[in-house]
Amino acid sequence: MTDFASKSPPGAPSRKATLLVLAWNRWDLTERCLATLLSTDLKNTEVLVVDNGSTDETPERLAEISGIRVLRLPKNLGFVRGNNAGIAAVDPANDIVLLNNDLIFTQDDWLTRLRAAAASDPKIGVVGARLCLPDGRLLHAGTYILPDTMWGQQIGSLEQDLGQYTAEVREVEGIVFACAYIKRELMAQIGGLALDFESYFEDTDYCLRARDAGFKTVVCGGVTLIHDEHGSTQNDPDSLGRLFQTSRATFRAKWGADLAGRYGHRLLWQSIMNFPTGYAMSCREILRALDAEGVEVAYRYVYGPRTVFSPNEPEDSEDYRLNVLSSRRVSWRPKASVVYGQADVFGSNRGRIKIGYTMLEVDGFPRDWVRAAQKMAEVWVPSEFNRQGFLDSGLTRPIQIVPLGVDTNYFHPGLHSFPNPHGEYVFFSAFEWGERKEPGLLLKIFNDEFGCDEPVRLVCKVINRDPGLKLKEEIRALRLRDQGGRISFLFNQEFPHYQLGSLYRSMDCFVSVSRGEGWNMPLMEAMACGLPAIATDWGAHREFVHEGNAYPLRVRGTIPAIAKCPYYTGFRWADPDPDHLRHLMRWVFEHRDEARAKGAQAAREVAERWTWRHTAQKIVARLTALGA
Amino acid sequence: MPNDRDALESALRIARLEARVAALEEALLRRSRELRELQRHLPSRELLNLSRLAGGLPPVPHGRYDLEVWRETTALSVASVEETLLDLWQSLTPTVAASR
Repeated sequence: MTDFASKSPPGAPSRKATLLVLAWNRWDLTERCLATLLSTDLKNTEVLVVDNGSTDETPERLAEISGIRVLRLPKNLGFVRGNNAGIAAVDPANDIVLLNNDLIFTQDDWLTRLRAAAASDPKIGVVGARLCLPDGRLLHAGTYILPDTMWGQQIGSLEQDLGQYTAEVREVEGIVFACAYIKRELMAQIGGLALDFESYFEDTDYCLRARDAGFKTVVCGGVTLIHDEHGSTQNDPDSLGRLFQTSRATFRAKWGADLAGRYGHRLLWQSIMNFPTGYAMSCREILRALDAEGVEVAYRYVYGPRTVFSPNEPEDSEDYRLNVLSSRRVSWRPKASVVYGQADVFGSNRGRIKIGYTMLEVDGFPRDWVRAAQKMAEVWVPSEFNRQGFLDSGLTRPIQIVPLGVDTNYFHPGLHSFPNPHGEYVFFSAFEWGERKEPGLLLKIFNDEFGCDEPVRLVCKVINRDPGLKLKEEIRALRLRDQGGRISFLFNQEFPHYQLGSLYRSMDCFVSVSRGEGWNMPLMEAMACGLPAIATDWGAHREFVHEGNAYPLRVRGTIPAIAKCPYYTGFRWADPDPDHLRHLMRWVFEHRDEARAKGAQAAREVAERWTWRHTAQKIVARLTALGA
Repeated sequence: MPNDRDALESALRIARLEARVAALEEALLRRSRELRELQRHLPSRELLNLSRLAGGLPPVPHGRYDLEVWRETTALSVASVEETLLDLWQSLTPTVAASR
């Protein structure tokens, strides 16, 4: 067995813990669970197996295992009473770790880390772990429950495990009790699991009771266990369904008013969410963050027939929380509404307090946008760049800066990566082909500056949805040199948003040479992942890009914004300096340690200042100020 | 007469060699014309593969990531980051497995 002390994080306590494994039949699962559990670091623990009235070989086989204590119950008492019987048999001075017998332990230091998380704050009462399915998909990184449906949901469920939610301590509303570290202080105060439930909902109930007693529930993202789900319960779907619905009704009666009362504001959010656009992606994130910050937000699609974007929106967002938000009932004239989109749909705002939230990539706003914005109680933009643009365009309504953000559970430097195994340094850029993103400049300069014999490559993730644009012809027209820097393209490939962090982590440097940006989400996401970035020193992203955390690309000035987009007519955008781009790419290629340090600094700054939580908190502050 | 015979044999040998050089020059010109045609009509990747095959090396595997290979479309295709990147990196260097 590995030495425990050598693996303990500094300051980790060695408080005794009882590991309580509840088993009912399925000896094969219990045997696997115990075999893997007992091979991990278990200093200062006892293992107590509660045999919940098994009728198979479990009692006899448990008796053959040394080093464990067995509590034999005369019959199956169910999950709650079975665990409580075990809890009653534990030394009250011990912490308790409830474990299902369908767990598999592959991480030697799992208990050390859970203990360290529990000890990191006296207000922490319950600690859970990341749970994965045997096939490697993430199953659980905490839970949430919405008062509308009273159906608990597991965070991150069924996503490919790419290292998301790996913060050592992350506060959550609840956890599933397949693995639950419960501190003795909490147990002494609120006792065992509530007898209102036979199975299901007892874990969320416990976490809410802990919250009422002043304790937090957290997930220790440093611990991942394999959960062969439902291996330990009876398999009859009808009886499981009845059990679930009974517990759900009990839970609703007990906690319904409490959960509904956590909302301090009600808000209608009119926007776009189920299309692959920047507004839609950020809309989804803002809605989730607002819900977490106590805003009872209802969503409605703001575009559609007779608007500037005519398609009807698909109803299914493929996200449980967002589907619930979309189905919430809203009065025809709600107190407050935010339209988040182009300002030419501000007129659809249904609120008595009307807020318009928009952005644009040039140095001003079209007249009809300003006219629409003048009818808002206030206008929100993500950046000083856009605030100044509105002022210059004559807007006289109050303008508030509400920055966008990043979900650092999905964009952080610790994500899994799939780097180029051939040792080439990889520059990466992601853009929709068009005048604003200036792709020709990037391709030409990279191809010209580097040679095909140098260990360097540019990977471009390119989107083209314009049938009038022939991308191959556009790129051929650049006359890139065969002997020049090598370029690979990911054409029109749409990755699940939750996987994008791994894409960035697999590259070495992010490059954005666009002429103008309303925010530049890919740039911020890449920086959150710790990538050094080269980005045009003009536009909204100057809010978060500076010499200390990136490589700002000089501009030669501004030029007329000539593009297919009608909103840009008459305005200006940046003219990035090709020589400086050439210099910066070469500099980063030759000064990789410095670049890595800048990337690390960027990741720290984004995590500290630019998360969706920050965005939601700013919105809540504005709603409070407006009396919404 | 030995000297006459030697002279005749030398003349024949020179004639044969000159004919052979002429034939080789003709073959070279023909091959040169063929290569120029190939160069004119084939993308550089296929030229590279011709060269590699002629040298006994496997061809560079066809990835979906080169301009020449990509089929022009405005449709988006859903993809996995892991599978795509592993495929991309593998497409950059020929392997025996990839050449099958």
